[in-house]
Amino acid sequence: MARKRERSDIILDMLISIQNKGGRIKPTHLMYKANLAHKQMKLYLEDLIEKDFIHKIKDKGYGYIIITDTGTKFVEKMRQMKEFERTFGL
Amino acid sequence: MIELIYSPNWFYGKDIIIDIISIFVLSLIAYFSIKYYKISKNKQYLFFAGSFISIALSFLFKVVTNFTLYFNIINIKHLGLITMTYNTIKSSNILSDIGFLLYRLLMLVGLFMLYSTYSKNKKINNILILYFIFVLAYFSKSAYYVFHITALIFLFLITWQYWKNYQKSKIITTKLLIYSFCLITLSQIIFIFIGLHTTFYVIAEIIQLLGYLILLLTFIKVLKNGKKKRKK
Repeated sequence: MARKRERSDIILDMLISIQNKGGRIKPTHLMYKANLAHKQMKLYLEDLIEKDFIHKIKDKGYGYIIITDTGTKFVEKMRQMKEFERTFGL
Repeated sequence: MIELIYSPNWFYGKDIIIDIISIFVLSLIAYFSIKYYKISKNKQYLFFAGSFISIALSFLFKVVTNFTLYFNIINIKHLGLITMTYNTIKSSNILSDIGFLLYRLLMLVGLFMLYSTYSKNKKINNILILYFIFVLAYFSKSAYYVFHITALIFLFLITWQYWKNYQKSKIITTKLLIYSFCLITLSQIIFIFIGLHTTFYVIAEIIQLLGYLILLLTFIKVLKNGKKKRKK
């Protein structure tokens, strides 16, 4: 059985999804990419904005989510942590 | 009389440098483990960091004690006065007794903590094992090889755990980690024979250095791999 995603896993999935789309993504796309329900995503977005990991912008009438430098640095740190975890079997 | 120095004269100080490198590698990994604990709140990270700190501290005590002993020997040679020599040796013996006891104790506690990170032992077993470590660290003063055999057993079990981990993950960094721990384990095998000839001490120290350098390389690779972008 697949392991339930932890909060940190969900945040990482969201931020990586934005990165993979070149640093900006539409909210609906993010919802599908990060495999989240609408209500769940809203809560996570609020949290990520508060932490300054992402910003919301408007471009030609469409809403986008962009990843900030703090968010990018966090992804790097999390990736290193996951690699550390895998290497040492923690 | 218990022998305190196993190093040949020409190797004095060089073993201290090797131990300082080991302290640096261990402290670096412990620092990052604490950093990751702050992010994930996973207690395993804290326990892991604790084990590395304990081993690093044990090396620190070894360095300080060896430094004191080597310095005293140089001092004695330089002065060449029998009465002063006697006093120096006597005072340094007490210091070295405490220093080496803490070295042995912290090394075994650290290795046991590292082993416990992976084993699913019950609490009572852990308390019992800790008690034996304390007893063993104290009494291995007169039989140094007992300490090295115990360290060897712990290191073998830890390496075995990494091997099982590698069978599942098949990642290069875990493979490097196995090489590193194999060398550190091998150094303990050679340390058992240091009483026979001083050359064994030199070989063991060099192998230990190689082991910790590979551990450093593993860690650098972990950080580098983490920086690489992976498409999900």
